[in-house]
Amino acid sequence: MAERRGFRRLGLLIAAAPAAALADALPWPEFSLHGLADLRHRQIDARPGWIDGGLGKFRAGGDAGRFRIDEAAVTVQARLWELAATATLKYAADQRNPVDLTEAFVSYRPLGSSAVRFGARLGAFFPPISLENTGTAWSSPYTLTSSAINTWVGEELRSFGGEFHASYQFEGGDRVGLMAAGFAHNDTAGTLLAWRGFALHDYEATSQDRLPLPGGIGTARFFPRQAGITRPFVEVDGRPGYYAGVTAERPESYKLRALYYDNRADTAALEHGQYGWHTRFWSLGGKLDLPWDLTLIGQGVTGHTSMGEAIGGSHPVDFGFWAASLLLSKSFGSHRFSLRHDRFGADENDLLPEDRNGEGGYAWTANYNLTWVQRHQVNFEVSRVVSRRPARLQLGQSSRQEEVLWQVAYRWFF
Amino acid sequence: MASRLPLVFLTVAALDLWLTAGAAMAASLTGQIRDGSGAPLADAVVTARPAGGRLAPPVDLRPVRMELDQKGREFIPHVLPVRVGTPVFFPNSDEIQHHVYSFSKAKRFEIKLYRGTPARPEVFDQPGVVAVGCNIHDWMLGYVYVTDAPYFARTDGQGRWELTLPEGEYRLALWHPDAESAAESSASARAADRADPIQHTLVLKPRRQSGKPPLNLQQQNYSGDF
Repeated sequence: MAERRGFRRLGLLIAAAPAAALADALPWPEFSLHGLADLRHRQIDARPGWIDGGLGKFRAGGDAGRFRIDEAAVTVQARLWELAATATLKYAADQRNPVDLTEAFVSYRPLGSSAVRFGARLGAFFPPISLENTGTAWSSPYTLTSSAINTWVGEELRSFGGEFHASYQFEGGDRVGLMAAGFAHNDTAGTLLAWRGFALHDYEATSQDRLPLPGGIGTARFFPRQAGITRPFVEVDGRPGYYAGVTAERPESYKLRALYYDNRADTAALEHGQYGWHTRFWSLGGKLDLPWDLTLIGQGVTGHTSMGEAIGGSHPVDFGFWAASLLLSKSFGSHRFSLRHDRFGADENDLLPEDRNGEGGYAWTANYNLTWVQRHQVNFEVSRVVSRRPARLQLGQSSRQEEVLWQVAYRWFF
Repeated sequence: MASRLPLVFLTVAALDLWLTAGAAMAASLTGQIRDGSGAPLADAVVTARPAGGRLAPPVDLRPVRMELDQKGREFIPHVLPVRVGTPVFFPNSDEIQHHVYSFSKAKRFEIKLYRGTPARPEVFDQPGVVAVGCNIHDWMLGYVYVTDAPYFARTDGQGRWELTLPEGEYRLALWHPDAESAAESSASARAADRADPIQHTLVLKPRRQSGKPPLNLQQQNYSGDF
């Protein structure tokens, strides 16, 4: 491959050296294209999942025992000097628009000085919470199923705004930094956590998405003006939100991130069947590269969300949520084995205890993957989640459920 | 142009050394460097200076054109030892652009986004370690080791090195970007006997940066984490 490129390059140099010199002299952006396609087989022993409008913890329940193209995504990037424009377009089964944007932003990253660096981006992007979704198009090199936290980030969190970084590098190589962002169009974040709870899957919502809400649990009775779906990226109150945090890292050694997120939504706002959910939380994450090619990733969030006009200091929906995960991964050559434990829960304290938002649960995910010639990857994965959610009683189900999902995936990266 | 003056200077210096030292028999020194676990250590630099403050015997001190290539989103070689005053070209053999820079005290420079080989080399005119990075591909890391020692070599994949130099006593200095500390020793070079390779050990830091790209495309191409 490298040789072929070399020959091509040589040919190009001989044939078009003057033209190439001219092109290099002109400020013309360099384009690049990357992406993935994911062919997936699922074997599920679970209740109807979120995408079926159920209260199961996986993406789907029941009948998904077949191969299908689960997702295909393309990231295009244009780069000019220290500016880059990046957009990721995704196709996914169950997506509202067959092809839609997950991220689109312009980033600026000047070289700075020896110790101090700045960076900024403007557009729509994932807030920097996940330490696992570091692959092409926000995929994870460790597991197919995201952790409870990162599943939620993929579904309901996206910053439509600007983010700024500043960092300082010490002599020894450690770099510490600050980041801050202002954003809009994230006022409904928290809706799925309230009525469905945490989930474990790898569906990332797109900019125009409409996500199903569970049916039959009385939401329509308590909140008749709420639409049957949630639109994760809308602005209902005209109030921007923010997040701010600190980072510390050393390449191929460790990475630490802490941030506080507050979408500052007006809980009294309601537009086109979408309420403003005032969601604020702390996120803490750490990644350690250990000897013997071991990687340890821990993440935690803890926060609150409230919705509806407050009466006597209480909101119709108001609950605290938390989740944590710990992943241990070992790579040996092109093989990788990963094991993750997830824990999550929510406690409500609001005007409508009949609208049940509380839950608790844990999950285990084990994945083995093999990547060859850099671009072909097979994954075998099993996930088991045990959860208790009293709202299930309204569906005539037991509050406590155990669900198991087996997956085989072939992923192709380019 | 910038390399002209040192070149003239060095030629005069070489002539001067030759006059003072007289003719000496060529000898060779060979050795092998291992890390703390006993594995051969590639990309270590060995420099040799005449012991006892004696002036260096004649040697061709003209700086030669050197290259630190970028291939497969990696600097090749990872470590490039050069003599002070050497012009180094930074060709980009990839089909994508790179943005090469260094903030090291011995040489600060920046070659903004480019493909192919820039027309002008960077001249390394101060001794020291110059760490080179790429502003686009954060994992890329290479080193130019700029030395004023008359003899130097880099270890190969087997940790081996070889120096051809006049007979005499030498002070050896060993350096590796990931070593806990540099090491020194002495050796005598004799034309007649082929001594066994000199064995050295350099203990590496537990935390090191390979400068190599992630193993697969999935982990090379996410641009949201910046």
